Amino acid sequence: MKRRIEMASDGQPLLVAEQVTKIYRSGEVSVLALDRLDLTVRAGELVAVMGPSGSGKTTLLNCLSGLDDIDSGRVLIQGRDLFAMSDADRTEHRARSMGFVFQSYNLIPVFTAVENVELPLLLVGTPAREARTQALEILDRVGLGGRAGHRPNEMSGGEQQRVTIARALVARPAIVWADEPTGNLDTAMAGQIMELLQQLNAEEHQTIVLVTHDPGIGRSASRLVRMSDGRLAHDEVRTAALAGAAATAESG
Amino acid sequence: MYPELTPPLVAGLGAALAVAGYLAVFRPVLRRLAVRQVVRRPTEALLVVLGSLIGTALIMASLVVGDSLDRSVREVAYDSLGPIDEYVTAPSAQVSEQAARRLKFLHEDPSVDGVLIMRGDYAAAVLDKAGQQRAEPRALIWEVVFETAASFGAPDSSGLAIADPGPGQVVVTERLAQRLDASAGDRITFYAYGQPLPLTVAAVIPSKGVAGVGFGAVDNRNAFVRAGTLLPVARAAGGEPTTTTFVSNRGGVESGARLTEEVTARIRAELGPLGESGAAVETPKQEVLDSAEQTSATLGSLFLFIASFSIIAGILLIVNIFVMLSEERKGQLGILRAVGMRRRRVTGEFTVEGALYSAGAALLGVLLGIGIGRIVVVLAMNVLNGYEQGDNKLGIEFAVTPTSVVNGLAAGFLIAFLAVVLTSVRIARTNIIAAIRDLERTPRRRTRNLSLVLSGIATTVFALASIPAIAASSGAATYLLPALAAVAAVPLLRRIASPRTVYSAVAGAVLAWGLLANIVRPRMFDDQSTATYVVLGCMLSFAAVVLVTEHQTILLRPLRPLVQRSSQAGLATRLAVAYPTAKRFRTGATLGMYSIVVLVIVLLSQASAVVDSSVEGSVRNATGGWSLRADYSPSAPIPDPQRALTSGEYAGVITEATPLLTAEADATDPLGRTKDLLPVMAVGIPDAFAAGAPELTERLPSLPNDAAVWQLADAESSYVVLDDTYGTTGGPQGATVAPGDTLELTDRASGTHRSYTVAGVLADGSALYGLGSGEFRYPVLMGKAALRSLFGSQVQVSSLLLRTAPGTNPAELSSRLHADFLLNGLVVTDIQQAVRDGFASSRQFFQLMQGYLALGLLVGITGLGVIMVRAVRERRRTIAVLRALGFRASTLRWSFLAESTFIAVEGVVIGCVLGVLTTWMLYEYSPMFGSLDVSFPIAWGQIALTVGVTLIASMIATLAPARRAAKIRPAVALRIAN
Repeated sequence: MKRRIEMASDGQPLLVAEQVTKIYRSGEVSVLALDRLDLTVRAGELVAVMGPSGSGKTTLLNCLSGLDDIDSGRVLIQGRDLFAMSDADRTEHRARSMGFVFQSYNLIPVFTAVENVELPLLLVGTPAREARTQALEILDRVGLGGRAGHRPNEMSGGEQQRVTIARALVARPAIVWADEPTGNLDTAMAGQIMELLQQLNAEEHQTIVLVTHDPGIGRSASRLVRMSDGRLAHDEVRTAALAGAAATAESG
Repeated sequence: MYPELTPPLVAGLGAALAVAGYLAVFRPVLRRLAVRQVVRRPTEALLVVLGSLIGTALIMASLVVGDSLDRSVREVAYDSLGPIDEYVTAPSAQVSEQAARRLKFLHEDPSVDGVLIMRGDYAAAVLDKAGQQRAEPRALIWEVVFETAASFGAPDSSGLAIADPGPGQVVVTERLAQRLDASAGDRITFYAYGQPLPLTVAAVIPSKGVAGVGFGAVDNRNAFVRAGTLLPVARAAGGEPTTTTFVSNRGGVESGARLTEEVTARIRAELGPLGESGAAVETPKQEVLDSAEQTSATLGSLFLFIASFSIIAGILLIVNIFVMLSEERKGQLGILRAVGMRRRRVTGEFTVEGALYSAGAALLGVLLGIGIGRIVVVLAMNVLNGYEQGDNKLGIEFAVTPTSVVNGLAAGFLIAFLAVVLTSVRIARTNIIAAIRDLERTPRRRTRNLSLVLSGIATTVFALASIPAIAASSGAATYLLPALAAVAAVPLLRRIASPRTVYSAVAGAVLAWGLLANIVRPRMFDDQSTATYVVLGCMLSFAAVVLVTEHQTILLRPLRPLVQRSSQAGLATRLAVAYPTAKRFRTGATLGMYSIVVLVIVLLSQASAVVDSSVEGSVRNATGGWSLRADYSPSAPIPDPQRALTSGEYAGVITEATPLLTAEADATDPLGRTKDLLPVMAVGIPDAFAAGAPELTERLPSLPNDAAVWQLADAESSYVVLDDTYGTTGGPQGATVAPGDTLELTDRASGTHRSYTVAGVLADGSALYGLGSGEFRYPVLMGKAALRSLFGSQVQVSSLLLRTAPGTNPAELSSRLHADFLLNGLVVTDIQQAVRDGFASSRQFFQLMQGYLALGLLVGITGLGVIMVRAVRERRRTIAVLRALGFRASTLRWSFLAESTFIAVEGVVIGCVLGVLTTWMLYEYSPMFGSLDVSFPIAWGQIALTVGVTLIASMIATLAPARRAAKIRPAVALRIAN
């Protein structure tokens, strides 16, 4: 496989994963989920991660975001080694630099839409009033201005996923991780959600790494990474916007 | 205990087990599902069982208290009576001798297996040993034919199976020997009829059967001498010992008692005209056994009543746990329903699972209950004995009957099982899509229409039923029926107002009725029914909890600055209040668990504080200025006792001695609480009461003051004065006798009876209990002329009220009087101390009840722990998301701790406020606290202790789940969730 040296429009690597290995152990059984994986994501990229079930897509997302521990290797985000930090520091780092969008939305069921969205802002110390204003603004932007006071179980799947996206973006994180963001939605709704993510990426240069099974979504991403058996099997830049800045190198 | 409940409980248990067994055997899928749910998480299954078993444990403990009290009182029959079922005494020696002669051949009756004639009387006993003198002023000395005594009641042991010790010898019981530190060979001097009778101890025998016999008291200190020893001493002093004919019915101690009615009739027939001359048949064993039954039933139900609040909390916990289980398994249930599982099968799965938990909880609960019961019995017996004056203290006998084990097991299982089944029915009604997609459930249109019709009917029925209930002031129904009418109206009201408005209005109305009903109907508590208190406690708690859960946002306003703070503390608080606010049913059930138990604990604390604050006033009321009471043996009277106790060395120390004319009698209960005659001591009103008498709480409206009452009762032979506890047998305060009530007094000797009207009620009659031999008798004060007119020669003087000079030490004076009048068997009672001791016992009883109830708090605290454990599991995904978003582990830990504290604080505060408010309302507006003239106290110390311990224990119970929540790894939880 070819190693690629990726360059975003601003040319700065945002995330560098080196030789990351993750093994799941259950009793006597061990499963190698990530096998000495290398990946660099530059600021402003929209990276789609595809691959068959069990290829390690979600594990990749969990490990690179610091949600899960790794067995070896290292992950640098904005130059800081994620796994050299204490759990508290890593949590703090996650709050300040990452946003998450999940397949099952994973909104806090007892909070309203606006309360869910303002959470990341409050976590980084934004004053409550300001957090509320920003949360309402972004809800408005994702088309849910009128649903701010509703709880998740009072909203449709598409609406819940928009709230999730709003929550992921509200604190302007360096990177947004999205795990099957359209997996629970119908085609039309999935299209709208992808449109929204692409728009954010294009207009605000929001770095997004998304895991998907949907080839259509994979094709619409600026960069497509394919995984197989815990390794990067294929990595290509697909959009003109990023093509000029990309370089490739042999990998493995 | 409660054998009458055994058949329905066993039938219920059988039916429940049959249903669960049928489902388990013939529905293998349900069985598999249920068993796997239980074994999948054994720790949580254990927590569910622990949370459910406390109810059973408390039921069992209450039954054990009843059993043990029954056994302890029943033991009196073995100790003091043995084979004795009946005895015959007469007011004069001549008549009693004639009676003995007539009954001599009674043993030929097939229902009788022994007749024993003994002569006996009170005597002081003194032993000089190793330079020290030890004395017992109230020993009983009996002369007896030892050979007859040994075979009395054969083949069962008589308790006095010992060879004739010979002249100059005495056989003493262990109780007397202990008092005197006597052993075989010691020489005891008995002073009977004022004459010394030196005797050598031949043997010390156990105080059992005939050896433990006495005149009404339990702890008798007996001595037995051969026939012909006592009579000459008595005759030499011009006296006569009482001849008593004891009769043993065929059979053992308890089986013989069943023939009491038949044998009594036979004895009466044999006595013939002697009955007219005062020869009376007593049936002590039947009375003891009846008393055992009554005491155990009263105390057992009192503890069961207190436990009922904990049981209600336990039911709420079970409902809560199963609602949480269903919530957690909502998706799974939805899918099971989607693939074709019928509603009743969903109910069946929960039923089988619930049966497993219930069975485990019932079995463990019974074992725990026996242990708790054992502790409570020891404490309760000490408290009960504290009320008793003289020698009526009971020994502790621990007992558990198979009936109680069956009842406890069945009741515990059925309560848990029914709570599970009813909750399951509700769970099974979940809409499939709503369950799978985790949506709010909406009632079906048809259900709504049906509920409207039912609501209309129920509201009308309850409202109509309320009218006669309120009119009759019938305790529980007065509270319950209007409240049920209001609750039943909820579906109707929801047609015209929002749910929150309706719930708030109904809860507010129920709360207001619970607090104010006693103003409208002040006599509601007169029936002494514990159900009234249970209904009141539930109404107040549940109504307040509904109000609080519906208006959490208002109550949380003070927390807003903290919640809105963009710090970890602010976020932890925000999260901590979010779940309790959103999950209203769950929070409400938990708040209910806390509030109902705390309410009753605080109510007891307050009642105890009110009673405590009135001690000094009661001492003043009870004594009327008299400090001591002296009782002496009628067979060795003090010549001119009034003078003897106020002259010589007692001049200036005892400033006044007032002799009391007394006569033992039987009387009816003016309030009809019992059909049996009550044991009373008729007391002639002393002349000295004209100058200073005990205070009265009530008097006939026509009488302007207390003095007028005493004058009327003294002068008019048809009026009496009673104590306000006349006829009470324990349990909650009910109606008390009132001026104008009538009762009938019967002279036990002649059988003559007359009616009397109550002219006034004593505020505290403690000074007049235990008169004479110390036997429990309700005092009835009447004019001396009236006393003599009814009781004739029965009237005697053997007690005096003493007024002492200021600064006199009562203990020192008592000691001197005991020594100086030992030969007269004089016993001195410090009246003030007796009243204080009575209050101390009441305080201890309240504390015991509070302690017992505090076990119910364990339900709440354990429940909170169980709920938080389940909450952590239920919220794994949310916790993972929060961690992913940047919540620190410590923030999550604090949020869980804060959540449980928040719930506990709300529950405890509701309970405390309601407890104080209810007591205040009862204090101000109901006759329950009588005429206590003290300002309403608040038991700050006890309340603070209750609040502090509850909150700390609640936090401790949440520590483990909070730590568990903090340790959840976000990626793992998200992977599982997704």
